[in-house]
Amino acid sequence: MFSIPDLAAWFADPVHWDGRYGLWFLLLEHIAITLAALLLAAVVALPLGLAIGHTGSGEFLVIGLGSISRAVPTMGLLFALVLLWGVQLRDFSLLVALAAIAIPPLLAGAYAGVTTIPWGIRDSAKAQGMTGFQRIRYVEFPLATSSMIGGMRIAFIQVVSTVVLAPLVGLGGLGFGIVQGLALRNYSQVVASSLVIIVITIVGSQLLGWLQQRTGDRLDPPHPLEKK
Amino acid sequence: MKLSRFAALAVSLTALVGLAGCSSTPAPTSETIVIGSQAYYSNEIIAETYAQVLEDAGYTVERQFSLGQRDVYIPALEAGEIDLFPEYTGNLLQFFDPAATQTAADDVYKALGSALPAGLTALAMSPATDQDSYNVTKEFADANSLVSIKDLAKITGLKLGGAPELAERPYGPTGLLSLYGVTVEFQATGDTTVDSLVAGMVDMANVYSADPRIKQLGLVTLSDPLGLFLASNVVPIASDVVNADARALIDKVSAAMSAADLVAMNVRSVDEKLSASVIAQEWLVSKGLLKK
Repeated sequence: MFSIPDLAAWFADPVHWDGRYGLWFLLLEHIAITLAALLLAAVVALPLGLAIGHTGSGEFLVIGLGSISRAVPTMGLLFALVLLWGVQLRDFSLLVALAAIAIPPLLAGAYAGVTTIPWGIRDSAKAQGMTGFQRIRYVEFPLATSSMIGGMRIAFIQVVSTVVLAPLVGLGGLGFGIVQGLALRNYSQVVASSLVIIVITIVGSQLLGWLQQRTGDRLDPPHPLEKK
Repeated sequence: MKLSRFAALAVSLTALVGLAGCSSTPAPTSETIVIGSQAYYSNEIIAETYAQVLEDAGYTVERQFSLGQRDVYIPALEAGEIDLFPEYTGNLLQFFDPAATQTAADDVYKALGSALPAGLTALAMSPATDQDSYNVTKEFADANSLVSIKDLAKITGLKLGGAPELAERPYGPTGLLSLYGVTVEFQATGDTTVDSLVAGMVDMANVYSADPRIKQLGLVTLSDPLGLFLASNVVPIASDVVNADARALIDKVSAAMSAADLVAMNVRSVDEKLSASVIAQEWLVSKGLLKK
C-alpha cells in the first residue's frame, strides 16, 4: 500500500515537481493562500483587538467569536460561501473561510497583549498627557507585539493545515496532492504532500515562535544591575 | 439544486460519523441480507430498490447506506459484513485493476467478473449507466458545431474541468490526445466542475452521465465513438448470502432499470427532495415489480 522507498522514489521523480500541479507550484500556492488569509484576518482582528484592549469594552467579542469559530465547520462555511457568491469568486470565499478561523486567535492575541501590560505602564503613559492614539501607537502596540505574534502563530498553524480543503472547490495548494492521491489510491503522493505541509507548518511556527520571543523582551527587559 | 448536492454531502458525512461511532455491532445472522450503498444519493436509491423487492419477498434486510467511497466499503464487502451493493462496472473494474484497458460495456463486465475477489459475484448488469462523460454548454456546442469528442480536435486552447484525479485517468488529457488528437489544458475544478462550466471558466467538463444537471442546465454530452470512457453500467455485487431466489429478484430490477429511469430518479431526488425510499418504491410500482 505504501512504503518508504516508494515515497523516496516519488520525491525523486522530477515529474512530480514541475508543472501547474507539480510540487513547487502547489507549495508556493499553498504558502500564498495561507499568507493572504492571515493578512485578511489580521487587517480585521488586530485593530479590533487593540481597540477592545484599549477601551476595555466589547470584551464579549473576544470570547464570543472564539467560541463561534470553533463551532462553525470550515468546510461547510467554504461550500456555503461558494454557493452564495458564485464560483467565480471562489478564491475570495476560500480566503474568507480561512480568515474566519484565523480571526479569533489574532483577536485574542491583540486583546491579551494590551490588557496584560502592567497597569503602571499604561497609567504613566496617561499621566504623561499622551492622547489615546499616542498611547496605542507608542505604548500599547509595541508592548502587545509579542502577544499578537503569538496569536498569529496559532492562526498560522490552523490556516496552513486547513488550506488543504481548497481543491474541493477547484483551487490548488498542497491539498491537491492529497485529494487527487486519495482518489487514485496513490498513497505515496498523499504522504509526500502531507509531509511538505508538516514541514512548512513546523518551519513557519518555529519562525513565528522565535519572533515572539524576540519581541517579548520589550516587556521584560533585563534589569540594569543584572549581570549579563 | 446546487444546494442539495452539498446538503447531500453534509448528510452523508454526518451519517459516516454516526457509523464510525457504532463499530461494535454484532455480526448479522445468515438470513439477514445486509445491503450497502455509497455516500451518493443516486446509489442509495438503487440500493433502496434492491431492499424493497427483497423485503416484499419476505427476506430480512438490513440497510447500511452512505458508506462513503470504495476504500471504505470494499473491505467490508470482502469481509462479508455487507452482502449486496449496487456498483458500477467500469469504475469498480478500475478499482480492482487500474491497468484495465476494456471500455465497451460487455468487455468491462466480463473483465470485472474475473477481477472480483473470491466470494463476491457480479449479478447481471443493468442497462442503466452512470459513467464519466465530457460535456459542454449548449452555446459552446452550437458555436463550434460539436457533436462528438472528435469535433474538439479543431479547437485550440480548450480548458477541461474535472475532479483532481482526472489528470491521471486514462480518459483524461492523455487519452484525449492519443485517441482523439484533442489537446486540453486541465483545471482541477473539484466539486465546482459544473458551476465552472456554466460560468465559462472551463470549456468542457467531466460530469457523470446520470447527473440531473446535464438535462436541467441544457448541457451537451459529447458522443464518444472511439470508446475513450469505460462503460459503467449499474451492477449489483453480491456475496454468497444472497441466494439464487434473491438473485433472480435483483436481476429483474436491474433489467427493468433504463439509463433514463436512473436519471429521472436522480432528478426527483434533487428537485423534489424526496427520500430514496419513496423514489425507489414509486419506481418499482411503476414497473410492476412491487404491488401497492
